[in-house]
Amino acid sequence: MNLIDQKLAQIKNDSRIGIMAHTVVGFPSVEKTIEIVKILEEAGADMVELQIPFSDPLADGPTIMKACEDSLARGIKVKDSFIVMKKLAKEIKIPLLFMCYYNIVFKYGVEKFCKDAKEAGASGIIVPDMPVDEEGDEHLLEYCQKYKLYNIQVISSFSPDHRVKLNAEKAEGFVYVTSRRGTTGVKENLDSQLSKNLERIKKFFSIPIAVGFGISSKEQIGSLLGKAEIAVIGSAIIDVIRDSKENEIEKNVSKFLKEMVF
Amino acid sequence: MKSHFGKYGGAYVPEMLIPALEELENAYIDAKKDKKFEKEFEDLLKNYSGRPTPLIFAKNLTEKLGGAKIYLKNEGLNHTGAHKITHCLGQALIAKRLGKKRLIAETGAGQHGVATATVAAKLGFACTVYMGEEDIKRQRPNVFLMERLGAKVAPVGFGSKTLKDAVNAAIKDWIENVEDTHYLLGSVVGPHPFPTMNRDFQSIVGSEIRKQLRETEGLLPDYVVACVGGGSNAMGAFTNFIKDKSVKLIGVEAGGRGKKIGDNATRFPTGSVGVVEGYKSYFLQDSDGQLQKTHSISAGLDYPGIGPELSLLHDKKRVGFVSVTDMEAVEAVDVLSKTEGIITALESAHAVSYALKLAPTLSKEKVIVVNLSGRGDKDLFILAKAFNDKKFYEFLKEYISELGIGS
Repeated sequence: MNLIDQKLAQIKNDSRIGIMAHTVVGFPSVEKTIEIVKILEEAGADMVELQIPFSDPLADGPTIMKACEDSLARGIKVKDSFIVMKKLAKEIKIPLLFMCYYNIVFKYGVEKFCKDAKEAGASGIIVPDMPVDEEGDEHLLEYCQKYKLYNIQVISSFSPDHRVKLNAEKAEGFVYVTSRRGTTGVKENLDSQLSKNLERIKKFFSIPIAVGFGISSKEQIGSLLGKAEIAVIGSAIIDVIRDSKENEIEKNVSKFLKEMVF
Repeated sequence: MKSHFGKYGGAYVPEMLIPALEELENAYIDAKKDKKFEKEFEDLLKNYSGRPTPLIFAKNLTEKLGGAKIYLKNEGLNHTGAHKITHCLGQALIAKRLGKKRLIAETGAGQHGVATATVAAKLGFACTVYMGEEDIKRQRPNVFLMERLGAKVAPVGFGSKTLKDAVNAAIKDWIENVEDTHYLLGSVVGPHPFPTMNRDFQSIVGSEIRKQLRETEGLLPDYVVACVGGGSNAMGAFTNFIKDKSVKLIGVEAGGRGKKIGDNATRFPTGSVGVVEGYKSYFLQDSDGQLQKTHSISAGLDYPGIGPELSLLHDKKRVGFVSVTDMEAVEAVDVLSKTEGIITALESAHAVSYALKLAPTLSKEKVIVVNLSGRGDKDLFILAKAFNDKKFYEFLKEYISELGIGS
């Protein structure tokens, strides 16, 4: 059984909303990334996505984009992300996922990436710019299945029914629904049509729904109760890291996440 | 509609963009069948942009080089000074059909931005143009023009602050505002259907070359030479000749200031296949798949990717690729100015420079057509620097002191 399934079952059992936290590998350093993820687990995160930094992150807003840029400027390589995954998977219990853009996977070799990610301890991958339509040439879903890695589909809350349906046929583990039109980044209010759209989308899926993009407060997460199973917190954590003195990062990240957990 | 060129192309975009791309593809398919669309497009090309552009026999240059006959397709005579206006008009008409109210675009040299701002003004759209901060520095006059045309120029301060980052910024704006906004992508790159649609609009260049050369020489060219950034002017000039095996097609890339990584924008042979900015093609990238910095004196060629169809034509050896350095391009501007009275854009000067090398190696019966994608007015400041024009600097100094600023 995939660790993600165990975690999802546990969240369901507790009748609460789960938290998937996000961080960029190498921001502000590889050592800190490892400490941050451990702190995230301790503070109550149910899963963590480790973003492999990329030069041209299409779906990310300024916060994560800048974190990727900083990380790359420090010389962080793809192999560092695998090292971090391997180390963390041994030390923590919650499921870890790789989040990255498709060119990283493609250059690494799709099969090798899936195989190595699984061996390093990843439970799933999230590749937002790899739509199911291109599977024929790329075989990403095929190799994810072969190596028992969940390929988490990312759809938009505004995706029309025919696209939701197409993704529902391929989705495994859970589906990642972006809360709004736009890229990642903190926003004060969630989209006014989100609830209605989540209801519409839920009908197509038998697996849980994670909602991300713009989530940074307990109120926002509370408003998702009953409509989604997981809330994703990404840019808000990066903001906390960026705004912290180096020796206070762990403390501040912990305090921030604890405030989010129900 | 075919979304791939061999293994290249496709639409590798976040799910949230797919409905917009589907909508665009459908609107384009409908428009192609619509006589009214065709008429309106042709009317704008003729009566607004000034098509057809002339095919000029470069008599002086030909005699000077003593080899093949050189013809120049002067796309610089289009309204706004380059070929870019053609796909801007085409896409703006499609955007109208879709009921969009706002056009956004990326720009490198500023030519595509100016053309987009122009059609936005003419056809009644709001307009935002994304431009890298590095390019704004290089091409201030075009920023001024875009703003006078009523467009908002949004500086892009992330990444390498050049064209590729402007593309990223424009895609992000589109993701956010897809309801009322059309992304008027300015080259044969990006996700399907952009490479196909822009190629189709631009292919009028090659059709005109064929017709014009038949009238003057009664034959097909032996060579068609075009500079290649993303590849819109090259695909425009090449498309009509792809089936004519006797016509050699040459794409000229930016050799920049040298062969070192980061000093040029030559995707061949240093690039490798990747998937970035929504399409699969050759990119200048490292072994991790991170895009690399590029350099060219011409902002329009300073881009790490290349149109997916050109990648396929490269693999099939149907289009040959060569490169020309910054210095050679500047020299070519000078040569063409003095022999033919045409001050060409630095981008197009790359194609001219290659023709200067090629022509003397060919016999006098051979015909080379060089696509002059744009005119050089926009390069005034870069050229003044390249030619070390002290009097121009003095003029600038005096101009600034007259305005009472900068002191």
